[in-house]
Amino acid sequence: MVLELRSIQKCFGGVQALRSGDLRVAAGEVHLLLGENGAGKSTLMKIVAGMQAADSGEVIWKGQPVRFRNPAEAQRAGIGMVHQESLLAPHLSVAENIYLGREPRRGLGWVDRPRAVRDAARLIDEHRFPLRAEQLVGSLSPAGRQMVEICRAVAQGASLLIFDEPTSSLSDAESQEVFRIVRGLRDRGASVIYITHRMEELRELGGRVTVLRDGETVFTGAMAEVSTPELIRHMVGRSVETIYRREPLAPGREMLRVEKLSRRGVLHDVSLTLRAGEIVGLAGLIGAGRTELCRCLFGVDRAESGSVHVEGRAVRIRSPRDAVRAGLALIPEDRQKEGLAAGLPVRDNVLMASMQQVSRFGFLDSARVRSLVGPGGDQRAGQLSGGNQQKVVIRKWVLSGAKVVLFDEPARGIDVGAKVDVFAAMDRMARDGAAVLMVSSELTELMQVADRILVMRHGRITAELPRGATQEEIMRHAALESLP
Amino acid sequence: MMQRLLPFFTLIALFVGLSLASPHFLTSANLGSVIRQTAVLNIMALGMTMIIIAGGIDLSVGAILALSGLLGCMLMTSGYPVWMGLCAGVVVGAACGLANGLMTAKLRINPFIVTLGTMGIYRGVSLILSGGLGVHSLPKGFSYLGEGSVLGIPFVLLVLLICGAVVHVLLEHTRLGRYAFAIGSNPDAAFYAGIPVAFHTSAIYAAGGLLAGLAGMIEASRLMTGQPTAGQGYELQAIAAVVIGGGSLRGGAGSVVGTLIGAFIMGLLSNGSDLLGISPYVQQALIGAVIILAVWLDELRKRSAGVGGGLLNR
Repeated sequence: MVLELRSIQKCFGGVQALRSGDLRVAAGEVHLLLGENGAGKSTLMKIVAGMQAADSGEVIWKGQPVRFRNPAEAQRAGIGMVHQESLLAPHLSVAENIYLGREPRRGLGWVDRPRAVRDAARLIDEHRFPLRAEQLVGSLSPAGRQMVEICRAVAQGASLLIFDEPTSSLSDAESQEVFRIVRGLRDRGASVIYITHRMEELRELGGRVTVLRDGETVFTGAMAEVSTPELIRHMVGRSVETIYRREPLAPGREMLRVEKLSRRGVLHDVSLTLRAGEIVGLAGLIGAGRTELCRCLFGVDRAESGSVHVEGRAVRIRSPRDAVRAGLALIPEDRQKEGLAAGLPVRDNVLMASMQQVSRFGFLDSARVRSLVGPGGDQRAGQLSGGNQQKVVIRKWVLSGAKVVLFDEPARGIDVGAKVDVFAAMDRMARDGAAVLMVSSELTELMQVADRILVMRHGRITAELPRGATQEEIMRHAALESLP
Repeated sequence: MMQRLLPFFTLIALFVGLSLASPHFLTSANLGSVIRQTAVLNIMALGMTMIIIAGGIDLSVGAILALSGLLGCMLMTSGYPVWMGLCAGVVVGAACGLANGLMTAKLRINPFIVTLGTMGIYRGVSLILSGGLGVHSLPKGFSYLGEGSVLGIPFVLLVLLICGAVVHVLLEHTRLGRYAFAIGSNPDAAFYAGIPVAFHTSAIYAAGGLLAGLAGMIEASRLMTGQPTAGQGYELQAIAAVVIGGGSLRGGAGSVVGTLIGAFIMGLLSNGSDLLGISPYVQQALIGAVIILAVWLDELRKRSAGVGGGLLNR
C-alpha cells in the first residue's frame, strides 16, 4: 500500500466531519472515493494533502507514519491535489501557475522565465493538453484550469494525485478528456484518488472504490464486484431504484415564446416555446450557448434582435429586474457566485426576490415573513450542504411566483438524495402551472426529467427530440462535427 | 456566544477599570464630555455601518462633515435662522453621499476610488468657499445642539440614540436594510434576484452622507465655528468603530449596537489615556493596536465556527 489512513477523525466547531475515515490505496491504482455531500470525502483528502490537520488517527505514506503540517510538505512527499474549486492565480500564465512557488531560478534569485515556459510547454505536449504555456489562466475554461492543476501536480513529481470532483464542472466531452489523463497517469505508475458523484462513467477507470457515509468508511471493494445500485445504497444508507422518473403532464397554455433571438457570436436565431406544466431539457456541449441563452432571456446580457413573449404578451427584458417582473426566474449555474448570499440567513435568501410581497411602505411585516419562511430561517445559508443551498435558491423563486423558470445545471455538484429533491421541486413548479427550462450537461439527468429535449450547438438550436430519445441521438446533434 | 459578546465585555471592563483607576472618570462632567466627544464619531459611524454592510466604503465622510458644517454655518452668519442652517448642512451631506453612491452604482467605479476622489473634492470645495478660514460669530442658540442638556442628559446623546434606533430599524426591518445586506453579501445574487441594486446602493450612500452632514453640524456647534479643516481622519475612525463592532469590510455583516460599542471603546480609550496621563502619541498607537486585535479576535471566532476564515478553511 502506498497510502493508508486509519480511523481519521476531524471536528469543525462541534460538527463531526469525520468519525472514522479509513482508506488503503495501492501503487498504480485508480481509487474512487464516493459519498454524498458532507460525507467527509473532501475533508479526508485535505488531511492527506496537508491542508488540514486530523484530530486523531494515522496517515501512513509509503510505510511511514506522517503528519503533514501544510500543503508544501505533502507536495515534497509526492502528494498532489487537483481541487474542486481551482486554486490558481488567474492573472498569471499557465507556466507561471505550474511552477508557482518553485520557479526555476538563475543565480541571485532571478526567475528563469524562459525555462519555466519551455518546461511547461514540454509537460503540456507530453500529456497532449490543449493548452499554451503563455496563456493567462483567467482565460481558460474550468476544464483547462484543471489541466493546469494536473500539470502542476505532475511537475512536482507527485506519485499520488487526488482529484476532488473534477468532473462536476465539466461537460461530458471534457470529462472524457480528464478520464484519458487519469488513465495516462495510472499507466505511468502513479496512484490516483478520484472523488466524484458520477460513478457510471467511472467503471472503466476505477480499480477499487471506497464509500464514505456520515464521516465513516462504510465500504471498500473492487469496482468490478459491486453494482451501481449497491454503491448508491452504501452512499445514502437506503436503496434507491432509479434516481428519478417524472410523470409527464399534458402541456397547458403557452408561457414563453422566443423568436429568432440573436446575440453576435453567441446566439443565432434561437426560437423556442415553453408551455405550462412542461419541463424542457436543453442539451449541448460547453460553449454551445445554453447558459448564454438563459442569460439573454433573463436580461443579464442583451440580445441584439429577436422577440420574447411571456404568456402571449411581448416583453422587453433589459435587466434581471425586468425579467423578474415579467415572471421569469433563473437558477444560475454558479450557485455560490450568482445564486446565494452565503453569509446571510436562509430567510434573507428565500425572500430576496419577494421582499415587496412581505413589506408595506418599505417596512417588513414580520408575521408574514415568519409564515412564509417557516422554521430554520435563522441558519446561515453558507452552512448548509450544497443540495440544501440549491433548495434555498429554488424556494426563492417558488415564493416569488415565477411563471417561467430557467434552471442552469440545477443538480451540479449535489448528492443523489438532494438531486431527487431538486427534480421533485422542478416537477412541483411545473404542476403548479410554471414552464421549466432545464439546462444540463448530464444526459441521463435530462432523459429522466425532461418532457422533450432541445439540443444546441454553436449558438443554434439544432434539434428537438421527444421524451425517450437516446443518448446517442442527443450527442449526434450536440457534437456533429466533433464525432468521428 | 461568549466571543460574539466580546466587544461588549471589553467596553464594560474598560468602564470598570477606568472607574477604579481614576477618581475623575466616574463623574457626570467627565462622562458628559466622553459622550459629547464620541457623538460626532458615533453618528458618522452609523452611516458607515450601512455602507459597509452593503459592501461599500466611504472615505469622504470626514470631508462631507467639514463641507456640511461650513455651509450650514455660512447660512447662519448670513442671517438665516438656525434651523435652516441645520437643514442645509444635513441636505448638503445627503447630496454629497448621493453623488458618491451614484458614481459607485451607476458608473461602476470602485467605492474606495470614488470616495478617495470625493474626499479631495469635498475638502477642496470647503477650502475654496471659505478661503481656508473658519466661519465664526454664529448665533448663540446654535450651541445647544452640541453642548445643551435635557434633564442633565447631553442633548447629543438623545440625537445619537434616535439616529441609532432609526438606523437599526432601517437595517433590520425595512426592505432597504435587507437589500443592503443582500447587496453586500453577494451583489451578483442580489442583481439576479431582480433587486434594483443601483437605486439601493445610492440610497445607502446618501443616508451615510446625511448622517455625516448631521455630525458636521454637531461638530460645528461644539466648536461654534464652521471649519473647512474639520473632521480630518474621522473617516478612518468611523471605519474602525464599525469593524471593532463586528462589521466586515467584505460586506454583509455589521450592526448598530456593535458599531456604537466600537465607537465608545475608542472614546473610552482616548478619555482614559487622558485621565491617566498617557501621552496622545501613545494613544494613537494604542487605538491602532486595538483595531487589529479586535478584528483578529473576530476572525478567530468565525474560523472556530467553521465559517469564512482563511484559505485553508474553505
